Amino acid sequence: MDHFAAAMIAFGIALGGGAIGAAIGDGLVGNATINGVARQPEARGQLQGIMFIIIGLVEGMYFINLAFGALFVFAIGK
Amino acid sequence: MIHAEDAPVNHPTIDLGCGTFCQLNYDSVISSALAIAVTMVIAIIIARALRPDRPGRLQALAEWMFSYVRRTADENAPDAPYLVPIAATIGFYILIANYLDFFPITLIPNVHPANTDINQTAAMAIVVFILVNAYSIRRRGVLGYLHHLTRPFELPIWARAGFTVLNVIEEIAKPATLALRLFGNLLAGLLMIYVITLLLGNLPYVGPWLTGPIFLAIWKLFDVLFIGLIQAFIFMLLTMVYFGLAREGLEAEHSH
Repeated sequence: MDHFAAAMIAFGIALGGGAIGAAIGDGLVGNATINGVARQPEARGQLQGIMFIIIGLVEGMYFINLAFGALFVFAIGK
Repeated sequence: MIHAEDAPVNHPTIDLGCGTFCQLNYDSVISSALAIAVTMVIAIIIARALRPDRPGRLQALAEWMFSYVRRTADENAPDAPYLVPIAATIGFYILIANYLDFFPITLIPNVHPANTDINQTAAMAIVVFILVNAYSIRRRGVLGYLHHLTRPFELPIWARAGFTVLNVIEEIAKPATLALRLFGNLLAGLLMIYVITLLLGNLPYVGPWLTGPIFLAIWKLFDVLFIGLIQAFIFMLLTMVYFGLAREGLEAEHSH
């Protein structure tokens, strides 16, 4: 197995693991937001703003993962 | 065949001849200069359009954004000098630099969205890191700053030695994650544009005029307009939050 194939497999594993984490995080954020809106429907606007900020923070980790994986794969593939 | 917007994974560099990391990515200099120029032009247009008696739509938007920055800065660190202009400039510049990605500027040679180079985002994060620590040292003094690194204060001395290591790691991790989050989001978005163009833009018959442009438009609307805005906002917000963390517990320490 050459280096490029190994890098691709590693990239796939890293991408899958990162996606699991980001999905769990997004689910928790959505859960908390739904709970908050159910308790206080008038706070919906505020909660949505906060929700998008937290989603951005959570998915930031995943995008770091994706960008570095792609960087390594492209750097090895060249 | 659509010309693919090539993602800037390998930057053209000038070797400055002083070690492995001593290189100049001149394409990033060009593209950040482009982003700075566009930012300045838009800022001047907004400043020209200001009317105190009859505010227009642009002025209302600018005032809303600026008052949000000022309110958040006052909530976090009301006594930090220049925090509002720093945070507003950083947020506005990142927003414009991200939104330039909406146009296919990577087709111009040596130009790409400025934040897809780690050096660009790391420069801003290091500036924020230095300013936050300078503010903390100015407020606490050097000894107070070093003493603050050994928090929490109510633990025995051997436990605080362990926490000191964690606090130092936390201080270093702040600018690292700040830079990597923005860089990773922007580079991943640009890689997706590249992949969409290669896969869907080169389909036989329908690629160049149907699937390629449609999916490219959908992805750019989501990635550039939404993720770009969120990431610019997060960078700005975290700058102010870090200033707030730098002065946390200051009133409590002075009171006893």
